[in-house]
Amino acid sequence: MKKIAIIGFGGAGYQAAKEARRVDPTATIDVYSDTNIGPYNPMLTTYYVKGAIPYEAMFPFGSLEQIVRDLNLNFFANKPVTGLDPAAKLLKFGDGTTAQYDKILISTGACAVMPPLKGIDLPGVFKMRTAQDAVALKDALDKGEIKSALVIGASWVGIKVVEDMVAYGVPCTLVDGAKWMFYVAAFEETAKRAQKDLERKGVTVACEQMLDHIEQEDNGQLTAVMQNGRRFTADSIAVCIGVRMNVGFLKDSGLEINRGILVDETMRTNYDGIYAAGDCCEAMDTQCKIHRNIGVWLNANKQGKVAGANMAGEHMEFDANVLVNLAHYLDYDFISIGDISTCGPDDDVYEYEDETYYIRAVRSANGIKCINVIGSADSNGLIKNAFVKAVENADADLDIQTRCFLQKKGFPDGFIDFLGGKSVD
Amino acid sequence: MKHIFVFDQDKCSACSACMMGCMDQNDIDLAAGDQCYRQTFDNEIPLADGSTYCAYISAACMHCTDAPCITACPVGCLSKDPETGFTVYDNTNCIGCKSCAMACPFGAPRYRASDGKMVKCDGCNERVKHGLQPACVCACSFGALTCVTEDEYKASGSSKGCNFLLEQLALKKK
Repeated sequence: MKKIAIIGFGGAGYQAAKEARRVDPTATIDVYSDTNIGPYNPMLTTYYVKGAIPYEAMFPFGSLEQIVRDLNLNFFANKPVTGLDPAAKLLKFGDGTTAQYDKILISTGACAVMPPLKGIDLPGVFKMRTAQDAVALKDALDKGEIKSALVIGASWVGIKVVEDMVAYGVPCTLVDGAKWMFYVAAFEETAKRAQKDLERKGVTVACEQMLDHIEQEDNGQLTAVMQNGRRFTADSIAVCIGVRMNVGFLKDSGLEINRGILVDETMRTNYDGIYAAGDCCEAMDTQCKIHRNIGVWLNANKQGKVAGANMAGEHMEFDANVLVNLAHYLDYDFISIGDISTCGPDDDVYEYEDETYYIRAVRSANGIKCINVIGSADSNGLIKNAFVKAVENADADLDIQTRCFLQKKGFPDGFIDFLGGKSVD
Repeated sequence: MKHIFVFDQDKCSACSACMMGCMDQNDIDLAAGDQCYRQTFDNEIPLADGSTYCAYISAACMHCTDAPCITACPVGCLSKDPETGFTVYDNTNCIGCKSCAMACPFGAPRYRASDGKMVKCDGCNERVKHGLQPACVCACSFGALTCVTEDEYKASGSSKGCNFLLEQLALKKK
């Protein structure tokens, strides 16, 4: 009987367990978690805070008890793995014990980065990643303890915390260290439009503000002091500057690690029988052919499924891994597809704007590089898949249905041409 | 028994009767800003040889075998009906994040104007479970749109099953 261990039980861990159980009904599947709660979706935390969903809905696969029963798992709560011998497929625990397996999946996810700055641990300074983070913020907002807020980090999490504050009628300022919002995905022209929209909705935005430290005022308020000396004061400060992959326990294990664990298309690491999936790993980027973590829910789930199948003995591959960032907040949506860092001054730029869309897209002679679109949420799947096809084959044409759909949705012929299609009447 | 929509483009005239059937069945309120789950397209596409290709298409959810929208939904609204094989939904916890739209290569998910929640073609799941045909199929006068069981589909030798289009469009490598 095959023995499988899953370390960490978020979306990737759950999908791996589900798929491994489908492929191998008799395998022993042990799941190790550093919590005693079931798999939840970090993306849903801010939706819980603003009341869009109840607490239970953050757990999209149901209760832990039900999952453990349905998938016939051995769940070890509050038992973090502290070390790994990948050659021996041996897990190590804090109490000195070990456990050996045939296959091991590392799906430990990522955690919110809290920089080691003075004042970062003051009451009222918070992060947003876990279900506990969400409960704490919602509690404070419901009690009326937050009358003003500062959000540090115009990231995909930061913008959702801003949305929570707006939903509660809390005046909010958004600051970021970069030159413009969504810096790693948005062209400056796109970001300026997003910033203008936010400001129109009452949110103050300040870019090029790098946090130095946080102070507590005599009245209990908090002041974020920037490296340039500028001061932002509020009742509460959200620090949303990114995530760190939970791979510290693998240091010196021999696994190949950049920021995350490097995996191939089967989610296998550089050791036979050791797999990684989700926010703790770096899979091959289809566009740039480099290892990269593209930390979205869909990827984590697909990667977990692929890892689970392969661990249980059925070959499966993870593909179509391109950088995609979708920001959907305050009735505004912006998508970026592709690696913006590959764009240069000599590239061809396509730009279009009407009352529905703003489009800015870049390509070189070698092919498509990056697309920004504001207002296209309904059509993003078609655009993304056209992008993937163009990346995989620079000469790929759009299929007829995609062309027809995009035209019906009001996209200009020039953009359809850009994506690889022909102009249509 | 799994069901499959089959679309024969050669028989379609883009008359939009299928859309009418869909709107009637699903009480779609166009005036309120809702969109029909099924769409028709009537496009003339110039070809490289100077001729024109007339594209008559009726399209809705393809009910993909390995539907990416199911995996993409952060709250688990979407699922497969084990009886019919259709991609169905319970949007009680839908947060309107449009992750399903980003995963769908066919633009199938719609968003209800009144509350922003996702709605989509469910294959007229209840009708089919009770032995009826989907409303769009009933409305098609030309036999362009049909819905058959998987066994019937395999026996027909057809290659026009909507949920097999993913492979035809080369969106998957394997």
